[in-house]
Amino acid sequence: MLDGIRDAVKKFLTGNASYDVAVEEFIKELQKSLISSDVQVKLVLSLTNKIKERLKKETPPSNLERREWFIKVVYDELSALFGGDKEPEVNPKSNPWVIMLVGVQGTGKTTTAGKLAYFYKRRGYKVALVGADVYRPAALEQLRQIGKQINVPVYGEPDSSDAVGISERGVAKFLSERYELIIIDTAGRHGYGEESKLLDEMKEIYEKVKPNEVVLVIDASLGQKAFDLAKKFHEASNVGSIIITKMDGTAKGGGALSAVAATGARIKFIGLGEKIDELEVFNPRRFVARILGMGDL
Amino acid sequence: MNCFDRLKKAFSSFTEKISNKLEEKKEEIKETERPSGPPQEPVVTSDTQVPEQDQTPKRETTELKPEQRIADQAVQNSENVQRREDRKFDLFGFIRYKEIKEEDVSDLIDELRFELLEDDVSLEVTEKILEDLKRNLVGKKVSRKENLEQLIHESLKKSLKDILKKNYIEKDVVETIKTSKKPFVVMFFGVNGVGKTTTIAKFAMLLKKSGLSVIIAASDTFRAAAQEQLAVHASKLEVPLVKGKYGGDPASVAFDAIQSAKSRGIDAVLIDTAGRMHTDKDLVEELRRLVRIAKPNLKVLVLDSLAGNDALKQAEYFEKAVGYDFVILTKVDADAKGGIALSLAYELGKPVMYLGMGQDYDSLVKFNPDWFTERLLS
Repeated sequence: MLDGIRDAVKKFLTGNASYDVAVEEFIKELQKSLISSDVQVKLVLSLTNKIKERLKKETPPSNLERREWFIKVVYDELSALFGGDKEPEVNPKSNPWVIMLVGVQGTGKTTTAGKLAYFYKRRGYKVALVGADVYRPAALEQLRQIGKQINVPVYGEPDSSDAVGISERGVAKFLSERYELIIIDTAGRHGYGEESKLLDEMKEIYEKVKPNEVVLVIDASLGQKAFDLAKKFHEASNVGSIIITKMDGTAKGGGALSAVAATGARIKFIGLGEKIDELEVFNPRRFVARILGMGDL
Repeated sequence: MNCFDRLKKAFSSFTEKISNKLEEKKEEIKETERPSGPPQEPVVTSDTQVPEQDQTPKRETTELKPEQRIADQAVQNSENVQRREDRKFDLFGFIRYKEIKEEDVSDLIDELRFELLEDDVSLEVTEKILEDLKRNLVGKKVSRKENLEQLIHESLKKSLKDILKKNYIEKDVVETIKTSKKPFVVMFFGVNGVGKTTTIAKFAMLLKKSGLSVIIAASDTFRAAAQEQLAVHASKLEVPLVKGKYGGDPASVAFDAIQSAKSRGIDAVLIDTAGRMHTDKDLVEELRRLVRIAKPNLKVLVLDSLAGNDALKQAEYFEKAVGYDFVILTKVDADAKGGIALSLAYELGKPVMYLGMGQDYDSLVKFNPDWFTERLLS
C-alpha cells in the first residue's frame, strides 16, 4: 500500500496498456491510498474525478517527464484543497488576539493550548491561558501545571461550572492587563446526542467572547467522521484554523483534509509529541507526501 | 451511514432490470407453450437432475432446458397428474425466480464498498466482506423486490456477525474476576487521548456494582494532572487510589497497589498507564516493564472508535509489543460506527468487550455482536 502510488506511476510508464486504462489504474491506486489515509470517501471520489479529468484532457508540458507531471497534477489538486503550497501565516493579525480552541474529547486541546502559548511566548508575545473546561476532572489542574512549566498565567475558576462566564471573565481580565495573546481551552465535545447542548455552550462562548480565531484541534487518527464533526463545529462557531495533533504516530492525518473541506479553514500547526515544544508550522508538501504514502515530493 | 437507504436505491434499479427481463421471459414461454411438438427429450422429474456446476455461471442455459421439457410434457398429457403438477410448479418457479449473476450485483458491491469504508471498516476487511457477499449472492435465485433486499440484507448481516462472533468472549469479565484468585490485576493501555482514565473509572464502577472491591493504580506519572484526574474519579467512586510522583516509576506505583490489595483483601487492581504512541520505543519498553512487574491477569487495549485506519495499526503494534486480551472501544456515542470492531476481529482475532458510550460512569456497555451489526447497518 505504502508505495502504491509510485508503483502505479511506474506501471503507467512501462506498461503496454492504453493511456486511458493506465489512468484508470492509477486513479484506483490513488483512491486506495487516500482512503487508507482516512480522507473522507466522498471527498476522495470528487478529488480523484477531478484529477482524472485533468490527466485525460491536459498534456504534460514539454519540459516535464510524464511521471513527474502525473504526480504534480495530484499534488496540485491536493494542495489546492487546503489553500496552496505555501506555509500558513501564523502571526496574529492584530494585537491583542484571542484564540479559542475547540475539538472532540481527547484530541489534545489542553496540551496544544500549552504548546501554542509556548510558541508565541518565544516569538515575544505576552501570552495568557484561560481554562474553560469545567467537565473533565482536573482539566484546570492540567492547564495550570502546563502554565507553570512555561511561566504563563492561567485563569480558571476551580469550582465553577459556568464555562461561558469563565471565558468572559478570563479574557476580560487578561485584556485589562494588556496581554497580547489569550488562548481559551474548552472542554472536549462531539455534539451528538446528549452532547448537542455542549455545542450550544461552545456557540455561546463564541458569541460572548468573540474570539479572533477559532482553532479546531484534530487527532491525526480521526477517521470518516471527521467531515461531519468538523461541520458541526463550524456551524456552531466559525472555525478559522486547524491543528492536527499526534502526527508523531502512524496516522496519516487524512481526516484533517476532510475537516478542511468541511470548514474551509487552514491547517496551521501540527503536534508531534507530548512535550511542550513539539509543535511545528504546517508544511503542505510534507503532508501531501504523507497522505499519499510517498517519502518525499 | 444510511446504508440501507442507499442500498435500496442501488437495488431498485437492479430489480427493475430483473422484472423487465422476467416480463420478456414470460412472453417467450407463452409462445413456446402453444405449438405442441412431440417430446424431444426423455422425461426428467425435477431440476435436481440439473448438474450442479460448482458456482460457475452458465446456469442460464441449464435453466432453459426444464422449461422446454415442461412445455413439451404439457401436451403429452400423461396419466401421472402429480408429476405434471410438479413440473407446472417448476415452470412458475422459473417465471418467478431468476438467478443473480455477477454483473447484476457489481454496482451494488461498489455502493456497499463505500458504505463500509464510511463506517471506518478498513480497506482490506471491506474487500473480504464484499467477496463473501458476492459468493453468497451469485447463483442464488431471487424473485420479488422484498425477497431480494432481504436476501442481501441477511447475507451481509450474517457475514458481519460471523466475523464479530469469531473469538468473541461471551462470558462477562466481571464474572471472570469474581471466580478468580484475588487480587485480579487488570492493566489498561493505549495511545494518548483515547479515554483510558475515564474507562478505568467506568470499569471500577462496573466492578463495584457487582460487589467487588477495587483499587486503582495511577501509573500515569507523566501527563500533567493525570494523577489529579484519577483522584477525582476515585473519590467520587469511593475507591482507594495509589498515586505516584510525577516523573516517578510507573511500575512501582502498580507494585504498591498490588501489595496494598493483597494486604487489604481487595478483589481487583486496575492499572492506569500513560498514553503512548505505539511507535515510541522507550515508552513501549516502559510498558513491557510494567507488565513484567505487575503480571496482570488481563491486558486491555483502549481504542478510540472515531479513529480511522490507524486504529488497526495501533492494535497490531500493541499486540506485537505487549499483547492484550480484549479491546474497549470508546466514544461510540459520537455517532461513530466503530467499523474497527470488524477489522479487529477479522485481522487480529481480537474481541471487543465493552463500548464506551459517554462521559458518565455507567456508560460502559457490554459489546453485543448482534446489536452492533444492526447498528452498523442502520
